[in-house]
Amino acid sequence: MEREVFRNFSTFDEVLFYVLANLAMAIFAYGIFLKVRKYRRGRAAYRFDHLPQRLLRALAIAAGSTTIAKNDRFAGVAHAAILWGFVALFIGTTIIFIDNDILGVVAPSLRFWRGRFYLWYSLVLDLMGAAFVAGVALMWLRRKTFGLPQLDYSRVDYPPAQYSRLAYVRGDDLFLGLFFAIGVTGFLIEGLRIAADRPPFEVWSPVGWALADAIDLAGLSAPASSRLHFALWWLHGILALAFVAYLPFSKALHMLTDFANLMFRDDLAARRLPRPAAEPAPAHLGVETLGDLSWRNLLELDACTKCGRCHVACPARAAGAPLSPRDLVLDLREYADARLARPALEQPRFLGEHPSQKPDAILPGGVIQAETLWSCTTCRACVSACPVGIEHVPLIVEMRRRLVEEGAVEDSLREALESLGKRGNSFKQSDKLRGRWTKDLAFPVKDARKQPVEVLWFVGDYASYNPRLQEISRAVARLFHRAGLDFGILYDGEKNAGNDVRRVGEEGLFEMLAEHNVATLAKCRFGEIVTTDPHSLNTLKNEYPELGGRYTVSHYSEVLLRLVEDGRLTLNGGLGRRGTYHDPCYLGRYNGIYEAPRRLIEHAGVSLVEMPRSRENSFCCGAGGGRIWMDDSALAERPSESRIAEAIALGGVDYFVVACPKDVTMYEDAVKTSGNEGKIRVRDIAELVEEALAAEEAPGAAQTPAAAGAAPEAAP
Amino acid sequence: MNGNEPSPGETLMNIVVPLQQTPDLVEELEINADGTDIDRDAVTLQLSEWDGQALEEALLLKEAGAGSVTAVTIDGGEADAILFTALAKGVDRAVKLKPSGDAPTGLDHHALARLLAAAVAQLGADLVLTGVQSVEDLDGQLPVLLAAMLGWPHVSVVTGTELRGGAIAVKQEYSGGVMAELEARLPAVIGIQAARQAPRYAPVSKVRQIQKTAKLEEMPVEAPSGEAGLKIRRVFKPEIAGRAEILEGEPAEIAAKLVSLLKDRGLAI
Repeated sequence: MEREVFRNFSTFDEVLFYVLANLAMAIFAYGIFLKVRKYRRGRAAYRFDHLPQRLLRALAIAAGSTTIAKNDRFAGVAHAAILWGFVALFIGTTIIFIDNDILGVVAPSLRFWRGRFYLWYSLVLDLMGAAFVAGVALMWLRRKTFGLPQLDYSRVDYPPAQYSRLAYVRGDDLFLGLFFAIGVTGFLIEGLRIAADRPPFEVWSPVGWALADAIDLAGLSAPASSRLHFALWWLHGILALAFVAYLPFSKALHMLTDFANLMFRDDLAARRLPRPAAEPAPAHLGVETLGDLSWRNLLELDACTKCGRCHVACPARAAGAPLSPRDLVLDLREYADARLARPALEQPRFLGEHPSQKPDAILPGGVIQAETLWSCTTCRACVSACPVGIEHVPLIVEMRRRLVEEGAVEDSLREALESLGKRGNSFKQSDKLRGRWTKDLAFPVKDARKQPVEVLWFVGDYASYNPRLQEISRAVARLFHRAGLDFGILYDGEKNAGNDVRRVGEEGLFEMLAEHNVATLAKCRFGEIVTTDPHSLNTLKNEYPELGGRYTVSHYSEVLLRLVEDGRLTLNGGLGRRGTYHDPCYLGRYNGIYEAPRRLIEHAGVSLVEMPRSRENSFCCGAGGGRIWMDDSALAERPSESRIAEAIALGGVDYFVVACPKDVTMYEDAVKTSGNEGKIRVRDIAELVEEALAAEEAPGAAQTPAAAGAAPEAAP
Repeated sequence: MNGNEPSPGETLMNIVVPLQQTPDLVEELEINADGTDIDRDAVTLQLSEWDGQALEEALLLKEAGAGSVTAVTIDGGEADAILFTALAKGVDRAVKLKPSGDAPTGLDHHALARLLAAAVAQLGADLVLTGVQSVEDLDGQLPVLLAAMLGWPHVSVVTGTELRGGAIAVKQEYSGGVMAELEARLPAVIGIQAARQAPRYAPVSKVRQIQKTAKLEEMPVEAPSGEAGLKIRRVFKPEIAGRAEILEGEPAEIAAKLVSLLKDRGLAI
């Protein structure tokens, strides 16, 4: 029980096949060489820690197509079918190679591709081959008939007359078409061979056997089948070899680059931005030319399969800003390939002159425009949506660093940065007034610089200076006080934590602010830090450790929940309203805090209705990454307005609950500008808790608040 | 202008930008003990906003090939920070002026102009760009005084400049969207209202780096004495002179209240 590899082949045919096979592999090797040489031209980047874990994780993701199945089960299943089909067929071909071309030459007695093994081999490969063809067909169907917005290659920043992306579409078609043709011809030659020879054991190839029956039904004679088999075998062989040669120059390369990219992914990507190299100090900060990209940057550019998930997830793109994370990656890739790794297929062209003239310059005014970079809110939706581990946000920030170093920032941003540099806040207000909001409280708030506290509250700029947000800060303070929490603030010892400053690309200012805060905090005695602002939380938690500040950092929603669940604040669900909750990017997607605010909302007696875009898929308000200091008047629809529309569409929702000071300003404004005043109220989570407490106390004056004032001061 | 053919080693033109330090109005101002000035020991000083515009305009001229830019400020206060920032933005020389006598405050622009006129002469300037005004100019705007003392042509409230041979073309904006273009012979003093583009940002890392590597020049200046432009009798915080009453209620009620108020005060019959 076996079959001939080269059925009806003359010596000439066989030699020709080996010549072609070696040619294909040579082209493949050349293509891989071009890519590897390109990566080796990149700057150093250290991603070699925990190699076994990295390898296992990449294997797990690839094996399950898990990152593809996330948010798109159809694509996940189809991809898994193709991937496993391909892997099985590849292993199957390798087995034949070992058996025929190695053992057949050096030790014919050891050949094993026969007998019982051959039967199982036939069965498994037949089924996997069927899965492969079915997967390819499903993907074709999805691509051609589903009308998915993520597969629309239209650019956001150039009119259609200025570019052509037909090459992308052709590349996709070629990739799927080649796969389909290889799969189908493979089955056809199997069917024709079985129809011609009818070896009884080939019932173990169920698909081939069924095809042979169909060929018999069609009335094709055995000799005719045999002749057709010979012709189609060549076609199949040439297609397969062509695929080998084509792989490094095409979309098919993703099989290799995506695995590598997932392996060298940074778990803290965007959460903790890279520090500029200290030794040797670079001539300039950030990324200006191709030479400033690291090998991992160049690799991640090659990893993109144009799946478009980042493109549809991006709030800037949705708002009509000239940024699409997909196009940013593709533009850089085309540029890198054109300059560092010719030749490359699938290169769409700018009609007329390419925007970039300066050799190797990405910036400024090169392939990437400054406005594109400034559009990013660093919400991390792209990084989170990317199935192959591309880290768009750090790349964007690296390019922003270069713009900042050139002093090329818009006026309002410059003023904010200058104010931050001079006074530690972006409000152009005196640093001495940072703690002034506490003056309207009925109790004093401890100065954490002067006495030890259990909880050191890092209030943040917005919650300290914005009059509307000061009300919320006072609500938080009243709740902490009422629960008997031993807390204090830094008053004018606190400066902006620097999260957004860093994401703007002002690394020097970030370091200055962080160094100040680390030094101030080093002199204080406290158990943990709590922040109002999720942005502050992110940098304190993830970035300060590199600057010598290691703390336990919580969000005020977590602390409030703890106080409620420990019985220090008694909430009995008395509010009886309907509300929806907006996950702040830096709280949810960045730091995985999804539950605390939701449970607080439930405790307050608000029944939670989720928006379509929630948790990891939450939609940014548009304020992050320093956007809050920039002009957003050019946007077609501000992300915050789109978000309010999403909440209104839920129907009958009283509250739009948020847990981030910037969200309060963004959404209260959006409710007004989108004409939805009176339809929905923006409520901070602390206001909600206070409102629920008040509602529960109001009906019965006899019911004394258990926690108020009674709790002892926690020991320092 | 002849900036197209720079001869090696030779500076084409020296643009001097005097930078004034004025109180940061974000901070609370206190009156000094004798009530003749704000408490200068308590204020935070910063670069005058309009001087920042003048610096930007000078840098734009430099980038167009005009020559070199020298930033000067009187020693003390925030002088170092202001000059390092100017260096980070691209000026060629940063000079701290060390007056022989007391440094004039911003309140005495006549004294300040005399000092700067001496400094400009020492530095050999071909062009002086400075802010058209400052938050402290009580006794006249600095560029006017400076030009008068130097005996140079002068244009103020300028929003853009261009060098043309031995002259400077300047833009002025008037109300109602009317623009004027004037030309002044060099050397000249130009009072800048706004630069052609928003002042550039000096990133902290660059300023920090320059602080480590660059050295600020110091230049003693003989401050000629002369009369002050004005004599200050008393400086005081705004005093409550009257009060405002806000009428509340429905439009009809408000109207009624207003009518009775006007009648009560004899303003209407």
